[in-house]
Amino acid sequence: MKYLLLAVVVVTLALPPLLPEKQLAVYILLGLAATVTAGVSLLMGYAGQVSLGQAAFYAIGAYAAGLLSVHGVPSLIGLLLAPVIAAVAAVLLGAPLLRLRGHHLAFATLAVQLILLSLLGQGTWAGGAIGLQGIPRLSGLKDDIGYAYVVWAVLAIVLLISRNVVASRAGRALRAAATSETAAAASGVPVGGYRLAVFALSAAFAGLAGGVYAFYLGYLAPGSFPVLLSIEFVVMAVVGGLGTIAGPVVGAAVIVLLVQFLNELGTQPGMPSYAPSVLSYAVYALLLIVAVRYMPKGIVPTARRLASRSSRAAASPSAELLEERA
Amino acid sequence: MTLVDVSSLTVRYSGATALDGVSLSLDKSEMVALIGANGAGKSTLVKALSGLVKADAGRVTVDGRLAQVPEGREVFADLSVDDNLRLGGWRNGRRGRDTSAIYDLLPALGPLRRRDAGTLSGGQQQMVAIGRALMARPDVLVIDELSLGLAPLVVQSLVDHLRTLHRERGLALLLIEQNARLALSLCSRAYVMEAGRIVLVGDAAVLASDERVTAAYLGGHYE
Amino acid sequence: MSDFLGYVLTGLGIGAGFALVGSGLVAIYRVTGVVNFAQGAFAVIAAMLTSSLLTAGLPHVLSESLAVVVAAVVGVLVGVVAIGKPGTDPGTSLIVTLGLGVFAYAVEIVLWGDQPRSFPGLSGVATIGGARIQAHYLLIIAVTVPVFAALALFFTRTDLGKALSACASNKYAARVVGIDVRRMGLLAFALGGALGGLAGVLTTPVQQVTFDSDVTLIVNGFAAAVLGGLTRPAVALAGGLLLGVTQTLIAGYGGGAYQLEVALLLMLTVMIVQAARTGPVREAAR
Repeated sequence: MKYLLLAVVVVTLALPPLLPEKQLAVYILLGLAATVTAGVSLLMGYAGQVSLGQAAFYAIGAYAAGLLSVHGVPSLIGLLLAPVIAAVAAVLLGAPLLRLRGHHLAFATLAVQLILLSLLGQGTWAGGAIGLQGIPRLSGLKDDIGYAYVVWAVLAIVLLISRNVVASRAGRALRAAATSETAAAASGVPVGGYRLAVFALSAAFAGLAGGVYAFYLGYLAPGSFPVLLSIEFVVMAVVGGLGTIAGPVVGAAVIVLLVQFLNELGTQPGMPSYAPSVLSYAVYALLLIVAVRYMPKGIVPTARRLASRSSRAAASPSAELLEERA
Repeated sequence: MTLVDVSSLTVRYSGATALDGVSLSLDKSEMVALIGANGAGKSTLVKALSGLVKADAGRVTVDGRLAQVPEGREVFADLSVDDNLRLGGWRNGRRGRDTSAIYDLLPALGPLRRRDAGTLSGGQQQMVAIGRALMARPDVLVIDELSLGLAPLVVQSLVDHLRTLHRERGLALLLIEQNARLALSLCSRAYVMEAGRIVLVGDAAVLASDERVTAAYLGGHYE
Repeated sequence: MSDFLGYVLTGLGIGAGFALVGSGLVAIYRVTGVVNFAQGAFAVIAAMLTSSLLTAGLPHVLSESLAVVVAAVVGVLVGVVAIGKPGTDPGTSLIVTLGLGVFAYAVEIVLWGDQPRSFPGLSGVATIGGARIQAHYLLIIAVTVPVFAALALFFTRTDLGKALSACASNKYAARVVGIDVRRMGLLAFALGGALGGLAGVLTTPVQQVTFDSDVTLIVNGFAAAVLGGLTRPAVALAGGLLLGVTQTLIAGYGGGAYQLEVALLLMLTVMIVQAARTGPVREAAR
């Protein structure tokens, strides 16, 4: 397992200079998607909540960083504030919203995103529907290779934080709460507080990724953060495996690369103009359904279970948890 | 003539064995009691009889119609008493869903026919559940916990109704009861279940004086 | 004053559409416990199909009716995937219907492209109490009201409707009396599909439809239905009409840009108040 991790680290670090420009963009967007998905995975796997509005926090981070830097705040400070602002927004929204459960929360998060998109589309301060333009690049970063390493570092930090959260007292308590909220609350676990903390943390991950996205792209529009993007993050989290550390990376990689491949296929001469979007919608949909149906624990826990079955090791606690809930 | 025949039935729930080689039979127009403590497997047996759980081994044969009064009554709380009864005849098709005969059998339900079943008292709900089961025009009625949570007078009136049904229509009855005294006084034969097995079977009157039964199920507080 | 009346009538027409989508959600949720995220897709598919059938020369009413029937069939297909496998819990089914909603995008784009579509409805302008409104809004109301009346009769007067209610009330008891709960679930999906489809064919002449219109439809439909805890079709009707009128009034008196926000905030408030009243733990334990 350690060698595998080391190999992944080495390969991903060696990759950026070798990639052509177009593939480098895929590398960066994949890393950002994995960063957001890490939060979704924590939220779904540990707090047991489906968020259909995670792209809202991605947008909040992006717009926060973009607006700050457009108004003259140094870009690095803008980048650091992006996750903070997203997390604060999550705390303010989460305090009332996290009273909701299940499909109510799913619709509530979706509503939050629609409201945000509508406000951004109308707010002249945010560039309206046309978008926010002229965002400077991150200071000191001239080319995309630099951004690739920034994304790599951001994802690494996010995964390390996730790992610590999962192993922490709060993480264990949340796992217990996911099985029986009443029992956990009765034994003195501040379930509501922990859940809000995970919500804020997942928003911070999304906000940080959004900040990098803003500087990388240089312009933002409400149309860059559709509801479908939130659904994509859910697909990636479910496909990779909820509540695992590697799951978000695997899920994002599988889906981004597959969609990229289908995009290439769809833009071949002779294909109808709608082919790329149709193919990607179909892939999201089928992967989501197949994953939920036939591999409810996702790729990573399933692979780990198969591996541990051969080595007769015990299943991981998170896999057990999800097995109970599945 | 055997109406219900259960032979060597085994049912497991995710590894745990709920029924372990249970054999039981019920003749036409016979009233049989099944007694045992909580968790002995009685309710699983009831579900197996109605085909709601699958047998892992052994088999269940029912020669005739079987209707069930489930534990906890399980009425359709937001539906009227009359609709509850109608749906009891669901398997019979449209013509078999006339409820008027039930009000003749259980006149107490008449004034309640428009009330939502969820608003009724426990005894009234049990009456609805029995009426609903009778709508299926069963040859055998399986009642899971007739007396649970009901006042003694209410239980007595239900028992009287069951005796009448048995006498007038030849209805067979399988009564699952925690109140062994009640079960043994109503039925002619009884089975005693413990930990998923039948441990005793025999004439109800004989079992009522069996030391093992009196010690375990007819404890002092009934006297 | 006549402005006000005009806004209210228009709002009722728009709200009737929300109510139909919402009652479709309710029909499915009551019986199966699944919040069907693909509900908006039924409306989109029916609307797109109607435009094709009309273009192909089929007359009105026939085109719309065929489209509603197809939407019902699509409803059954969604149901088969969502609840077909025994033991699927409603949370999983929600994600599955989410996937099916996205899958519908792919199908819709292949069949009808990604451009907005519309078709002519009832033309002309009616004058009521001094208010001039598009006649088609009156048609929407005129169709929706009897549909809800028929729905109420179906659920309370027919054995099939009672059996559906029985599944909603107590699934275990439904199985005990011999009702096939899974088949009833699929029937509920058919009903949900038809109601969603009807919403689509009725509202498209006044509100063009794109493949991704389903998000607005489902959110408004959910907002309409959530008022009655997702279980009462009559409340979904009231909720939808209220939502429609509120939105039109806001738009009419100058807040046009913010009508969706208001609807969504209304929905959030209702849900939070409901949760505060019943307590969050109860629902989690369900």
